Order: sequence, then C-alpha cells, then structure tokens
Amino acid sequence: MGWKDWHDRLHLLGLVAALAALGWLLMSGAPGDSAARTGSGVERAMEREMAYQARVAFLEQIYGPVEEMRRQGSHQQALLRLEQLNRQYAGEAHGFILRGLILHELGVLDEAAANFVRGLRINGDYVDARSPLSQRAPIQALVDEGHERLSARARANPDNPSIVAALRNVYYLQSRLAGGCE
Amino acid sequence: MLKQREFWLVMAASLSLGVFGVLLAVWGNPENSGICVSCFLENSAGALGLHGNERMQYLRPELIGFVLGAMGSSLAFREFRSRGGSAPMGRLLAGFFLIVGCAVFIGCPIKLFLRLTAGDLTALLAFVGLAGGVWLGLRSLAAGVHFGAATPQKGGAGWVVPGLFVLLLVFLLAQPSFVLFSNRGSAAEHAPLLVSLGVGLLVGVLAQRSRFCITGGLRDGLLMGLRAPLFWGLMVFVVAAALANLSVGRFEPGLYGQPGAHLDHVWSILGMALVGWVSVLIGGCPFRQLIKSGEGDADAGLVVVGMLAGAALVQGWGLAGTAAGVPFYGKVAVVIGFGLVFVTGLVMRERPA
Repeated sequence: MGWKDWHDRLHLLGLVAALAALGWLLMSGAPGDSAARTGSGVERAMEREMAYQARVAFLEQIYGPVEEMRRQGSHQQALLRLEQLNRQYAGEAHGFILRGLILHELGVLDEAAANFVRGLRINGDYVDARSPLSQRAPIQALVDEGHERLSARARANPDNPSIVAALRNVYYLQSRLAGGCE
Repeated sequence: MLKQREFWLVMAASLSLGVFGVLLAVWGNPENSGICVSCFLENSAGALGLHGNERMQYLRPELIGFVLGAMGSSLAFREFRSRGGSAPMGRLLAGFFLIVGCAVFIGCPIKLFLRLTAGDLTALLAFVGLAGGVWLGLRSLAAGVHFGAATPQKGGAGWVVPGLFVLLLVFLLAQPSFVLFSNRGSAAEHAPLLVSLGVGLLVGVLAQRSRFCITGGLRDGLLMGLRAPLFWGLMVFVVAAALANLSVGRFEPGLYGQPGAHLDHVWSILGMALVGWVSVLIGGCPFRQLIKSGEGDADAGLVVVGMLAGAALVQGWGLAGTAAGVPFYGKVAVVIGFGLVFVTGLVMRERPA
C-alpha cells in the first residue's frame, strides 16, 4: 500500500471522506426525540411498553368482574365466570393465575398449583417483582404451604402419582420464584 | 510449578472469575448467573433485535469487557495476532451447537460451577456430562480428529470480532433506539453497568494472560492430573465461588426449586456433554472462545459469531431449557449436534497414509 498507486490513493481518500462524514454526522448530533419519532415512528421500546400497558389494562377490564367476585368471597361464581372467559380467551395465562388464586383460597392446593404452573409457563410476568401483573406473594404462600402439606403426604404415599405430580408443580413454582436466567 | 508465573496468572484469573461470578449476582445479575456466557449472549442477541423474547434483552457489559480486556492485554503484551482460516464453517456450526448445549442445560460451563457452588445439585449431573464430553473430545483428538491449525491472516481478519464488540460498547453507552433493553424478566436484572464492564475487562485481561478455560482445565486434568496449572485453576475457581456463595449467604443446597434449573437430568447431561466435546475439538469453552477472539483469532471469532446466531435461534425457536424442562425441539437440536460431532469425527480425521 502506498501513495504512489492510484488505487490506494482513491481508497484512502474514500476512507478519509467516510470518516469525515461520520464525524460530521456525530458532531451535528443525533436527531432530537421528536425529530427521531417523526422519522421512524415511536421508538420500539416505547411501542413495546405501550403494548404491554394496554395488555395489562385489557386484562384488568376483562377479568375485573372475576376479581370483584373473588374480593366479595363469591368464589364459586368467580370460577363460573372464569370458565366462560376461558372459552372466549382460551390459553390466556391471566385466567389460569386467577383460577389458581381462587382455588388456593378455597383450600384446593393441588389444583391451585397446577393452574399457577400453566399460567407461568405461558407468561413469566406473574413471578416478576417488577411487573404490574406480579403475583409473587400468593404464589410464594402456596409454595410454602405446598411444601408443608404435600411433602408429608408424599412421604406417606410415595406411589401416589397425583401427589407426586402436585409436589413437582410446587418445585416448579419454587424454581420460578428463585429467579435465574432462562 | 509454584515458581512459574503462568501458574499464578491462572490462579488470579480463576480466583477473580469465582469471586466476581458470585458477586455480580449479588450486585444485580440474575441468581447464579453472575457470569454466564451463553445466557449473556442470549441477552445480547435479544438486545440487538435478533430474537423476540422480551424478557431476555440486554447488552451484557461483561461480554464486551471479556473481549476488549483480552484485546487490550494482547496488544499491550504484543500477543495480538490476526490468525485463522481453519474450517470456518465447522467452527460457525460448533459455536451454534455450543449454545444449544448450554441453553438446554441453562448455562455455560462457568455457570455450571456457579450453580453447583450455590448448592444446585442438578448441576452435579451436568458436570458428569461435561467431564464425559471433554473425555470424548480427548479421545477424538487422540484419534486424529482436528479442525486444522490457524495460520496468519492478511487483511486484519482478527480485528473483526473485537471491532464488533467495540461497536456493542458504543451501543451500550449510547443506547440508540434500535437496541432493546428488557424492563422485566431476567435480562432486567443486572449489576451496575460500569461495575459489570470493569469486572469484564479485569477478567478478560487475566484470562488472556493466563489462557484460563473451564474445559481446558478439565482436559488438562484428565491428561496430566495435578501437574496441570489449568486444573488447579479450575479447582481454585470452584473453591473461590463456593466460599463466596457461603460468605454472602447464597449457598442453598438442594435438588428442587433452584433458580434457572430443571429436572430433565438426562438432557442436562447430554447438553453439557455436547458442550464439552465440541469445546475440546475447537480448543476451548465458550468463555475461552471470546478471549481468543479478542486476541485476533478469527477462528474463535467465527465460533463467537456462531454462538451469537445460536443464542438468537435458541430463543427465537424456543430450544432453550426452562424450569419446566427441555422443550422437544431443544432435545432434537442436541441430538443433531451430536450427529454433527460424529460427522466431524469422520470427515475431519487425519488418517495415517
């Protein structure tokens, strides 16, 4: 490579020009917030956050009546309403989590754990302390209770597959609560 | 051995990796994931928009620190050499399947030991898999399977991956709108940026100087026993991490309910066996590949690119293990990985004439 060769000269010149252009662009500054948005629309992070907030609001609106019934202690009615909603929004994690909460309050530990697991497999936000959907405390309460009740039952009936499955669900919930990267 | 400078460099690297591997989790990284090359690559791929898992998007400064620390150190000690050119496609695929194996287990070899020293007994079986894989890799090498030697490269090929990581550093500091950062999930958990970057740089420098490598430690241990400095380094790493976990109150022994762990033990064993085997064939674990790429090794750089692609695809295709277990297609990917290792054993074997 040298200055005498026209090919090299051209390339070095091009490189210098490109660096100068880059420097000029950087010096002139990135477009301001509003300018960037008019150029590329609302930035992706904002879009994502808006979509998430809209989802949370939508869930609150759809499942609000069930929450209300649950608060008033009308657990059976709440379960019936959930059944209807689940037909309409099949596979929605929020429905499983709500069902888990209600069943736990009714003392049906195994089924409550199974519903929490189904919900969490679809959406991990329910064990995330930062999420507005977080249900860490009730899930933790179920895990604590599950250990106490199910471990004793499993020891007494080691061959009972339903108890083993329920205990497995409790371990799964415990693992999700413990966090970690996945 | 105690009088050798190399031995003490290995000790310093392994000690810092063990202690900071635990402390970074205390300072904000996910539980038992203070340092995890595969998890961090998955986070970084997500941050670059290469996959859509909104809970796994963050440009992990530790990775940038590893590569740039290694680059700085190799330049300072005149060890930066632009080299490569041996079996590029094989190395690209190797990088991909390294991440598949790690993702199925949920963690790279470093995280395996961090999990183990935090009391996660599920990692014990994965260790058996990793050691078995390293042993198989050694058998392959002994049979003449190898990817060929790197040769000096013209055109500064060795600068490409360090350059990419400089760009990632710019992205991390400038945070342009196209780079994504999770605000929930495990990627939202991170130690302060400058702390992570500083630790990454320090570990990168020490690892470059010492050539520390997890699978290298196992390999040397199997070959030379207690005479191998890297094997001692591995043991120091484990002891340091265990003591650090005990001292910060994070040692919780148990098989169940461990963070970022599952009970599909067979797949943990197979995933880590794949990682061990591939690592020996390509000359180092995922961490070592990052360090070598920082030294100008374009072959390792291709493995890093393969790992980044793998990190994107294991998340995008849902191959990664979760607390629920290993997904079906994750198992398929591991089996394909083993298939390719066997093919490699056939086609990359130097046979006596």
